[in-house]
Amino acid sequence: MRNLFAFFRRFQVFLVFAGLQIFCLSWYFTSLNFPHSQFLSTASVVNGKILETRNSFTKYWNLDGNNKNLQRENISLRNHQPLSFVRLQNQQFKIDDTLYQQQYQYISARVIHSTVNKQNNFFTLDIGKSQNIKPGMGVFTDNGIVGVIYSVSKHYSLVRSLLTENINVDVNIEESGAFGLLKWDGKNPRRGFITGISNDMDVKKWSKVTTRGGSGIFPRGLNVGKIETIETVEGKPIWKIVVLFGEDFRKTQNVYVVRNLFLEEQQKLELKPGQE
Amino acid sequence: MNGIVGNIIQFFLLIAAQVLVFNNIELGFGIMPMVYPLFIMFLPIKINIYILLILSFALGLSIDSFSDTFGIHASAMLIMAYFRPIILKTFEPRDGYEMVESMNTYTMGFKWFVSAFGVLLLIHHTWFFIFEIFNIREIFFILQKTILSTVFSFILCILIQFIFISRRKAR
Repeated sequence: MRNLFAFFRRFQVFLVFAGLQIFCLSWYFTSLNFPHSQFLSTASVVNGKILETRNSFTKYWNLDGNNKNLQRENISLRNHQPLSFVRLQNQQFKIDDTLYQQQYQYISARVIHSTVNKQNNFFTLDIGKSQNIKPGMGVFTDNGIVGVIYSVSKHYSLVRSLLTENINVDVNIEESGAFGLLKWDGKNPRRGFITGISNDMDVKKWSKVTTRGGSGIFPRGLNVGKIETIETVEGKPIWKIVVLFGEDFRKTQNVYVVRNLFLEEQQKLELKPGQE
Repeated sequence: MNGIVGNIIQFFLLIAAQVLVFNNIELGFGIMPMVYPLFIMFLPIKINIYILLILSFALGLSIDSFSDTFGIHASAMLIMAYFRPIILKTFEPRDGYEMVESMNTYTMGFKWFVSAFGVLLLIHHTWFFIFEIFNIREIFFILQKTILSTVFSFILCILIQFIFISRRKAR
Protein backbone atom coordinates (compact mmCIF):
# COMPACT_ATOMS: atom_id res chain seq x y z
CA MET A 1 0.00 0.00 0.00
CA ARG A 2 2.79 2.36 0.87
CA ASN A 3 4.47 1.55 -2.41
CA LEU A 4 1.29 2.44 -4.21
CA PHE A 5 1.15 5.87 -2.57
CA ALA A 6 4.83 6.40 -3.31
CA PHE A 7 4.16 5.53 -6.93
CA PHE A 8 1.31 8.04 -7.11
CA ARG A 9 3.41 10.75 -5.48
CA ARG A 10 6.27 10.13 -7.87
CA PHE A 11 4.21 10.26 -11.03
CA GLN A 12 1.71 12.83 -9.78
CA VAL A 13 2.36 15.33 -12.57
CA PHE A 14 2.18 12.68 -15.24
CA LEU A 15 -1.06 11.28 -13.81
CA VAL A 16 -2.73 14.71 -13.84
CA PHE A 17 -1.50 15.21 -17.39
CA ALA A 18 -2.71 11.76 -18.48
CA GLY A 19 -6.12 12.24 -16.86
CA LEU A 20 -6.76 15.52 -18.66
CA GLN A 21 -5.38 14.06 -21.89
CA ILE A 22 -7.73 11.05 -21.69
CA PHE A 23 -10.66 13.42 -21.19
CA CYS A 24 -9.71 15.46 -24.29
CA LEU A 25 -9.05 12.54 -26.61
CA SER A 26 -12.11 10.53 -25.59
CA TRP A 27 -14.22 13.62 -26.14
CA TYR A 28 -12.68 14.09 -29.58
CA PHE A 29 -13.02 10.51 -30.76
CA THR A 30 -16.59 10.02 -29.56
CA SER A 31 -17.97 13.39 -30.62
CA LEU A 32 -18.24 12.66 -34.34
CA ASN A 33 -20.40 9.60 -33.91
CA PHE A 34 -22.34 10.63 -30.82
CA PRO A 35 -23.15 14.31 -30.58
CA HIS A 36 -22.88 15.10 -26.87
CA SER A 37 -24.36 18.56 -26.61
CA GLN A 38 -24.01 22.01 -28.02
CA PHE A 39 -22.15 23.06 -24.87
CA LEU A 40 -18.52 23.99 -25.66
CA SER A 41 -19.15 24.47 -29.35
CA THR A 42 -19.88 27.46 -31.57
CA ALA A 43 -23.62 26.81 -31.15
CA SER A 44 -23.53 27.62 -27.43
CA VAL A 45 -25.09 30.86 -26.22
CA VAL A 46 -21.96 32.93 -25.52
CA ASN A 47 -19.87 31.72 -28.47
CA GLY A 48 -22.78 32.03 -30.86
CA LYS A 49 -23.33 35.62 -29.81
CA ILE A 50 -19.65 36.51 -30.24
CA LEU A 51 -19.42 34.91 -33.68
CA GLU A 52 -22.70 36.51 -34.73
CA THR A 53 -21.28 39.91 -33.82
CA ARG A 54 -18.18 39.13 -35.86
CA ASN A 55 -20.35 38.03 -38.76
CA SER A 56 -22.32 41.26 -38.64
CA PHE A 57 -19.10 42.98 -39.74
CA THR A 58 -17.79 40.43 -42.21
CA LYS A 59 -21.02 39.58 -43.97
CA TYR A 60 -20.62 42.52 -46.32
CA TRP A 61 -17.47 41.14 -47.89
CA ASN A 62 -19.28 38.79 -50.21
CA LEU A 63 -22.49 40.73 -50.59
CA ASP A 64 -22.35 41.21 -54.34
CA GLY A 65 -21.90 37.55 -55.19
CA ASN A 66 -24.60 36.50 -52.76
CA ASN A 67 -27.10 38.98 -54.13
CA LYS A 68 -26.44 37.70 -57.65
CA ASN A 69 -27.02 34.13 -56.49
CA LEU A 70 -30.31 35.00 -54.84
CA GLN A 71 -31.44 36.93 -57.88
CA ARG A 72 -30.68 34.01 -60.18
CA GLU A 73 -32.62 31.71 -57.91
CA ASN A 74 -35.58 34.12 -57.85
CA ILE A 75 -35.64 34.22 -61.64
CA SER A 76 -35.72 30.47 -61.96
CA LEU A 77 -38.56 30.27 -59.43
CA ARG A 78 -40.45 33.07 -61.15
CA ASN A 79 -40.26 31.16 -64.41
CA HIS A 80 -42.18 28.32 -62.81
CA GLN A 81 -45.00 30.45 -61.43
CA PRO A 82 -48.49 30.04 -62.91
CA LEU A 83 -48.62 33.75 -63.77
CA SER A 84 -45.84 33.40 -66.32
CA PHE A 85 -47.74 30.78 -68.33
CA VAL A 86 -50.54 31.22 -70.82
CA ARG A 87 -53.30 28.65 -70.63
CA LEU A 88 -53.63 26.92 -74.00
CA GLN A 89 -56.81 24.99 -73.35
CA ASN A 90 -59.41 27.11 -71.70
CA GLN A 91 -62.20 24.56 -71.52
CA GLN A 92 -60.69 21.77 -69.52
CA PHE A 93 -59.10 22.23 -66.19
CA LYS A 94 -59.76 20.95 -62.76
CA ILE A 95 -58.37 21.70 -59.34
CA ASP A 96 -57.12 18.68 -57.45
CA ASP A 97 -56.12 19.85 -54.02
CA THR A 98 -56.03 16.37 -52.58
CA LEU A 99 -53.60 15.12 -55.18
CA TYR A 100 -50.71 16.93 -53.55
CA GLN A 101 -49.66 17.00 -49.97
CA GLN A 102 -46.72 19.00 -48.76
CA GLN A 103 -43.77 16.82 -47.75
CA TYR A 104 -40.90 19.29 -47.40
CA GLN A 105 -40.78 22.66 -45.68
CA TYR A 106 -37.88 25.07 -46.07
CA ILE A 107 -36.48 27.50 -43.53
CA SER A 108 -33.97 30.16 -44.50
CA ALA A 109 -30.88 30.77 -42.35
CA ARG A 110 -27.60 32.66 -42.34
CA VAL A 111 -24.17 31.12 -41.81
CA ILE A 112 -22.40 33.00 -39.02
CA HIS A 113 -19.23 30.90 -38.82
CA SER A 114 -17.63 28.31 -41.05
CA THR A 115 -14.34 26.52 -41.62
CA VAL A 116 -13.01 24.55 -44.58
CA ASN A 117 -9.41 23.71 -43.70
CA LYS A 118 -9.87 21.12 -40.94
CA GLN A 119 -10.41 17.40 -41.14
CA ASN A 120 -13.98 17.84 -39.93
CA ASN A 121 -15.59 21.14 -40.79
CA PHE A 122 -18.69 22.69 -39.29
CA PHE A 123 -21.00 25.58 -40.03
CA THR A 124 -22.87 27.60 -37.41
CA LEU A 125 -26.34 28.88 -38.33
CA ASP A 126 -28.27 31.70 -36.67
CA ILE A 127 -31.43 29.62 -36.12
CA GLY A 128 -32.04 26.93 -33.52
CA LYS A 129 -34.51 25.11 -31.32
CA SER A 130 -36.80 28.13 -31.17
CA GLN A 131 -37.27 27.84 -34.97
CA ASN A 132 -38.00 24.11 -34.61
CA ILE A 133 -34.64 22.94 -35.96
CA LYS A 134 -33.73 19.37 -35.04
CA PRO A 135 -30.53 17.34 -35.52
CA GLY A 136 -30.57 15.36 -38.77
CA MET A 137 -32.22 17.96 -41.00
CA GLY A 138 -30.57 18.70 -44.35
CA VAL A 139 -29.01 22.04 -45.27
CA PHE A 140 -28.56 23.25 -48.87
CA THR A 141 -28.17 26.31 -51.07
CA ASP A 142 -29.23 26.96 -54.63
CA ASN A 143 -25.84 25.71 -55.89
CA GLY A 144 -25.87 22.43 -54.00
CA ILE A 145 -26.26 20.66 -50.71
CA VAL A 146 -24.12 21.82 -47.79
CA GLY A 147 -24.54 19.45 -44.85
CA VAL A 148 -26.69 17.99 -42.09
CA ILE A 149 -27.66 19.59 -38.76
CA TYR A 150 -25.51 18.10 -36.02
CA SER A 151 -26.64 19.74 -32.79
CA VAL A 152 -28.88 22.64 -31.82
CA SER A 153 -29.07 25.16 -29.00
CA LYS A 154 -31.87 27.61 -28.39
CA HIS A 155 -30.88 30.19 -31.00
CA TYR A 156 -28.01 28.57 -32.92
CA SER A 157 -27.33 25.30 -34.64
CA LEU A 158 -24.22 23.43 -35.71
CA VAL A 159 -24.07 21.88 -39.19
CA ARG A 160 -21.81 18.99 -40.17
CA SER A 161 -20.77 20.10 -43.62
CA LEU A 162 -20.03 17.80 -46.56
CA LEU A 163 -16.39 18.38 -45.63
CA THR A 164 -16.37 15.87 -42.77
CA GLU A 165 -15.33 12.26 -42.57
CA ASN A 166 -18.09 9.69 -43.05
CA ILE A 167 -20.75 12.18 -44.07
CA ASN A 168 -22.18 9.48 -46.41
CA VAL A 169 -24.90 11.31 -48.30
CA ASP A 170 -26.63 9.03 -50.79
CA VAL A 171 -26.36 10.55 -54.24
CA ASN A 172 -27.15 9.38 -57.74
CA ILE A 173 -25.69 10.23 -61.11
CA GLU A 174 -28.19 11.56 -63.58
CA GLU A 175 -28.32 9.94 -67.03
CA SER A 176 -26.80 6.66 -65.87
CA GLY A 177 -28.93 6.38 -62.73
CA ALA A 178 -26.15 4.79 -60.69
CA PHE A 179 -26.10 5.62 -57.01
CA GLY A 180 -23.44 5.62 -54.32
CA LEU A 181 -22.23 7.39 -51.18
CA LEU A 182 -20.61 10.83 -51.17
CA LYS A 183 -17.40 11.08 -49.10
CA TRP A 184 -14.60 13.55 -48.47
CA ASP A 185 -10.90 12.81 -47.93
CA GLY A 186 -9.93 15.90 -45.92
CA LYS A 187 -7.84 17.63 -48.55
CA ASN A 188 -9.49 19.80 -51.18
CA PRO A 189 -12.57 21.81 -50.12
CA ARG A 190 -13.85 21.88 -53.72
CA ARG A 191 -13.81 18.14 -54.42
CA GLY A 192 -15.37 15.03 -52.89
CA PHE A 193 -15.76 11.51 -54.22
CA ILE A 194 -18.40 8.84 -54.67
CA THR A 195 -17.81 5.23 -53.67
CA GLY A 196 -19.79 2.11 -54.31
CA ILE A 197 -20.48 2.40 -58.04
CA SER A 198 -19.46 -0.79 -59.80
CA ASN A 199 -17.33 -0.41 -62.93
CA ASP A 200 -19.74 -2.01 -65.35
CA MET A 201 -21.98 1.04 -65.03
CA ASP A 202 -21.68 3.56 -67.82
CA VAL A 203 -20.67 6.87 -66.21
CA LYS A 204 -19.94 9.95 -68.27
CA LYS A 205 -17.68 12.84 -67.39
CA TRP A 206 -19.37 16.13 -66.41
CA SER A 207 -22.75 14.50 -65.82
CA LYS A 208 -24.76 15.96 -62.98
CA VAL A 209 -24.77 14.46 -59.46
CA THR A 210 -27.95 14.94 -57.44
CA THR A 211 -29.32 13.72 -54.12
CA ARG A 212 -31.18 10.43 -54.18
CA GLY A 213 -33.51 11.25 -51.31
CA GLY A 214 -33.46 7.75 -49.89
CA SER A 215 -32.80 8.56 -46.26
CA GLY A 216 -35.38 11.34 -46.12
CA ILE A 217 -32.87 14.03 -45.19
CA PHE A 218 -32.87 15.75 -48.59
CA PRO A 219 -35.62 15.80 -51.20
CA ARG A 220 -34.84 13.94 -54.41
CA GLY A 221 -33.01 15.84 -57.14
CA LEU A 222 -31.12 18.57 -55.26
CA ASN A 223 -27.89 19.51 -56.98
CA VAL A 224 -24.60 18.24 -55.49
CA GLY A 225 -22.05 18.85 -58.21
CA LYS A 226 -20.54 17.47 -61.39
CA ILE A 227 -18.32 14.50 -62.10
CA GLU A 228 -14.81 15.69 -62.78
CA THR A 229 -12.74 12.53 -63.22
CA ILE A 230 -13.40 8.81 -63.20
CA GLU A 231 -10.63 6.53 -62.00
CA THR A 232 -10.36 2.79 -61.65
CA VAL A 233 -9.55 1.32 -58.23
CA GLU A 234 -6.87 -1.36 -58.36
CA GLY A 235 -8.12 -4.79 -57.39
CA LYS A 236 -11.73 -3.77 -56.91
CA PRO A 237 -14.57 -3.76 -59.43
CA ILE A 238 -15.67 -0.19 -58.60
CA TRP A 239 -15.07 3.29 -59.94
CA LYS A 240 -13.53 6.06 -57.86
CA ILE A 241 -15.46 9.12 -59.02
CA VAL A 242 -14.27 12.63 -58.17
CA VAL A 243 -17.06 15.18 -57.79
CA LEU A 244 -16.61 18.93 -58.14
CA PHE A 245 -19.01 20.41 -55.56
CA GLY A 246 -21.54 22.88 -56.90
CA GLU A 247 -21.28 24.95 -53.75
CA ASP A 248 -18.07 26.77 -52.84
CA PHE A 249 -17.99 26.21 -49.07
CA ARG A 250 -15.62 29.11 -48.53
CA LYS A 251 -18.29 31.57 -49.64
CA THR A 252 -21.51 30.05 -48.29
CA GLN A 253 -23.68 32.63 -46.52
CA ASN A 254 -27.38 32.09 -47.13
CA VAL A 255 -28.71 28.54 -46.76
CA TYR A 256 -32.02 26.67 -46.51
CA VAL A 257 -32.86 23.98 -43.97
CA VAL A 258 -35.16 21.14 -45.07
CA ARG A 259 -37.83 19.79 -42.78
CA ASN A 260 -39.26 16.47 -43.95
CA LEU A 261 -42.81 16.21 -42.63
CA PHE A 262 -42.95 12.46 -43.36
CA LEU A 263 -39.59 11.60 -41.79
CA GLU A 264 -41.03 10.11 -38.61
CA GLU A 265 -43.33 7.89 -40.62
CA GLN A 266 -40.47 6.67 -42.81
CA GLN A 267 -38.19 5.96 -39.85
CA LYS A 268 -40.93 4.09 -38.02
CA LEU A 269 -41.53 1.95 -41.09
CA GLU A 270 -37.86 1.19 -41.66
CA LEU A 271 -37.25 0.23 -38.03
CA LYS A 272 -39.51 -2.82 -38.13
CA PRO A 273 -39.53 -4.48 -41.54
CA GLY A 274 -42.07 -7.22 -42.17
CA GLN A 275 -44.66 -5.87 -39.77
CA GLU A 276 -47.69 -3.75 -40.33
CA MET B 1 2.44 43.84 -19.45
CA ASN B 2 3.85 41.74 -16.68
CA GLY B 3 2.43 40.03 -13.64
CA ILE B 4 -0.82 38.15 -13.22
CA VAL B 5 -3.02 40.89 -14.68
CA GLY B 6 -0.83 41.01 -17.77
CA ASN B 7 -1.10 37.25 -18.20
CA ILE B 8 -4.88 37.33 -17.87
CA ILE B 9 -5.09 40.05 -20.52
CA GLN B 10 -2.77 38.06 -22.78
CA PHE B 11 -4.98 34.98 -22.29
CA PHE B 12 -8.08 36.72 -23.60
CA LEU B 13 -6.26 38.70 -26.30
CA LEU B 14 -4.71 35.54 -27.74
CA ILE B 15 -8.09 33.74 -27.76
CA ALA B 16 -9.68 36.72 -29.53
CA ALA B 17 -6.85 36.93 -32.06
CA GLN B 18 -6.99 33.20 -32.79
CA VAL B 19 -10.77 32.96 -33.01
CA LEU B 20 -11.66 36.19 -34.75
CA VAL B 21 -8.71 36.52 -37.09
CA PHE B 22 -6.41 33.53 -37.55
CA ASN B 23 -9.11 30.82 -37.61
CA ASN B 24 -10.52 32.48 -40.72
CA ILE B 25 -7.29 32.61 -42.71
CA GLU B 26 -7.45 29.97 -45.43
CA LEU B 27 -4.33 29.66 -47.50
CA GLY B 28 -4.79 26.14 -48.84
CA PHE B 29 -2.08 23.42 -48.75
CA GLY B 30 -3.42 22.45 -45.31
CA ILE B 31 -1.94 25.49 -43.56
CA MET B 32 -3.63 26.26 -40.22
CA PRO B 33 -2.04 29.21 -38.42
CA MET B 34 -2.15 28.83 -34.60
CA VAL B 35 -0.80 31.66 -32.46
CA TYR B 36 -2.34 30.87 -29.06
CA PRO B 37 0.57 28.56 -27.95
CA LEU B 38 2.52 31.80 -27.46
CA PHE B 39 0.68 32.16 -24.14
CA ILE B 40 2.70 29.32 -22.61
CA MET B 41 5.93 31.22 -23.25
CA PHE B 42 4.67 34.42 -21.60
CA LEU B 43 3.92 32.67 -18.28
CA PRO B 44 6.45 33.07 -15.44
CA ILE B 45 9.36 30.65 -15.59
CA LYS B 46 8.97 29.22 -12.10
CA ILE B 47 5.23 28.61 -12.36
CA ASN B 48 3.79 25.55 -10.63
CA ILE B 49 3.43 22.68 -13.12
CA TYR B 50 -0.18 21.99 -12.07
CA ILE B 51 -1.21 25.59 -12.63
CA LEU B 52 0.57 25.46 -15.98
CA LEU B 53 -1.35 22.32 -16.98
CA ILE B 54 -4.71 23.71 -15.86
CA LEU B 55 -4.12 27.05 -17.61
CA SER B 56 -3.15 25.48 -20.90
CA PHE B 57 -6.07 23.06 -20.64
CA ALA B 58 -8.44 26.00 -20.15
CA LEU B 59 -6.92 27.89 -23.08
CA GLY B 60 -7.17 24.84 -25.32
CA LEU B 61 -10.79 24.21 -24.33
CA SER B 62 -11.71 27.83 -25.10
CA ILE B 63 -10.17 27.58 -28.55
CA ASP B 64 -11.94 24.23 -29.06
CA SER B 65 -15.30 25.68 -28.16
CA PHE B 66 -14.86 28.42 -30.77
CA SER B 67 -13.69 26.19 -33.61
CA ASP B 68 -15.75 22.99 -33.13
CA THR B 69 -12.73 20.72 -32.74
CA PHE B 70 -13.95 18.85 -29.61
CA GLY B 71 -10.88 18.76 -27.38
CA ILE B 72 -8.05 18.36 -29.88
CA HIS B 73 -6.63 21.86 -29.25
CA ALA B 74 -6.77 21.23 -25.49
CA SER B 75 -4.97 17.94 -25.96
CA ALA B 76 -2.18 19.55 -28.00
CA MET B 77 -1.89 22.36 -25.45
CA LEU B 78 -1.49 19.82 -22.61
CA ILE B 79 1.39 18.01 -24.31
CA MET B 80 3.07 21.37 -24.92
CA ALA B 81 2.67 22.38 -21.26
CA TYR B 82 3.98 18.98 -20.15
CA PHE B 83 7.12 19.43 -22.26
CA ARG B 84 7.75 23.07 -21.30
CA PRO B 85 9.82 22.41 -18.13
CA ILE B 86 11.85 19.75 -19.97
CA ILE B 87 12.61 22.04 -22.90
CA LEU B 88 13.44 24.96 -20.59
CA LYS B 89 15.92 22.79 -18.74
CA THR B 90 17.49 21.61 -21.99
CA PHE B 91 17.99 25.10 -23.34
CA GLU B 92 18.98 26.67 -19.99
CA PRO B 93 21.55 29.47 -20.40
CA ARG B 94 24.85 29.20 -18.52
CA ASP B 95 23.80 31.62 -15.78
CA GLY B 96 20.29 30.24 -15.40
CA TYR B 97 17.00 32.05 -15.56
CA GLU B 98 17.67 34.28 -12.52
CA MET B 99 17.55 37.59 -14.37
CA VAL B 100 14.38 37.30 -16.42
CA GLU B 101 10.71 37.57 -15.52
CA SER B 102 9.05 36.44 -18.72
CA MET B 103 10.35 34.91 -21.89
CA ASN B 104 10.34 36.74 -25.19
CA THR B 105 12.81 37.51 -27.91
CA TYR B 106 14.13 40.61 -26.12
CA THR B 107 14.84 39.14 -22.68
CA MET B 108 16.16 35.77 -23.83
CA GLY B 109 17.69 36.66 -27.17
CA PHE B 110 16.40 35.78 -30.60
CA LYS B 111 18.44 32.59 -31.01
CA TRP B 112 17.29 31.08 -27.71
CA PHE B 113 13.67 31.89 -28.43
CA VAL B 114 13.77 30.40 -31.92
CA SER B 115 15.16 27.10 -30.68
CA ALA B 116 13.09 26.69 -27.48
CA PHE B 117 9.78 27.96 -28.77
CA GLY B 118 10.34 26.30 -32.15
CA VAL B 119 10.71 22.87 -30.56
CA LEU B 120 7.63 23.39 -28.34
CA LEU B 121 5.55 24.62 -31.28
CA LEU B 122 6.67 21.65 -33.37
CA ILE B 123 5.59 19.26 -30.58
CA HIS B 124 2.22 21.03 -30.37
CA HIS B 125 1.55 20.98 -34.12
CA THR B 126 2.73 17.40 -34.61
CA TRP B 127 0.44 16.14 -31.85
CA PHE B 128 -2.44 18.23 -33.15
CA PHE B 129 -2.30 16.98 -36.74
CA ILE B 130 -1.57 13.34 -35.81
CA PHE B 131 -4.73 13.17 -33.74
CA GLU B 132 -6.79 15.34 -36.07
CA ILE B 133 -6.20 13.12 -39.09
CA PHE B 134 -5.43 9.86 -37.22
CA ASN B 135 -4.85 7.73 -40.26
CA ILE B 136 -1.54 5.98 -40.96
CA ARG B 137 -2.16 6.02 -44.71
CA GLU B 138 -2.19 9.82 -44.69
CA ILE B 139 1.27 10.11 -43.11
CA PHE B 140 2.63 12.36 -45.85
CA PHE B 141 -0.36 14.64 -45.59
CA ILE B 142 0.21 14.87 -41.81
CA LEU B 143 3.87 15.74 -42.44
CA GLN B 144 2.96 18.36 -45.01
CA LYS B 145 0.35 19.97 -42.75
CA THR B 146 2.66 19.90 -39.71
CA ILE B 147 5.71 21.40 -41.39
CA LEU B 148 3.90 24.12 -43.36
CA SER B 149 1.67 25.14 -40.43
CA THR B 150 4.56 25.18 -37.94
CA VAL B 151 6.63 27.48 -40.14
CA PHE B 152 3.68 29.78 -40.76
CA SER B 153 2.53 29.90 -37.10
CA PHE B 154 6.09 30.50 -35.94
CA ILE B 155 6.58 33.50 -38.23
CA LEU B 156 3.24 34.91 -37.04
CA CYS B 157 4.20 34.45 -33.36
CA ILE B 158 7.51 36.27 -33.86
CA LEU B 159 5.72 39.10 -35.68
CA ILE B 160 3.13 39.40 -32.88
CA GLN B 161 5.95 39.83 -30.38
CA PHE B 162 7.67 42.50 -32.44
CA ILE B 163 4.40 44.39 -32.76
CA PHE B 164 3.02 44.17 -29.23
CA ILE B 165 6.05 44.06 -26.91
CA SER B 166 8.15 47.17 -26.92
CA ARG B 167 11.86 46.77 -26.36
CA ARG B 168 11.99 49.28 -23.54
CA LYS B 169 9.24 47.69 -21.46
CA ALA B 170 10.61 44.20 -21.83
CA ARG B 171 13.87 45.06 -20.09
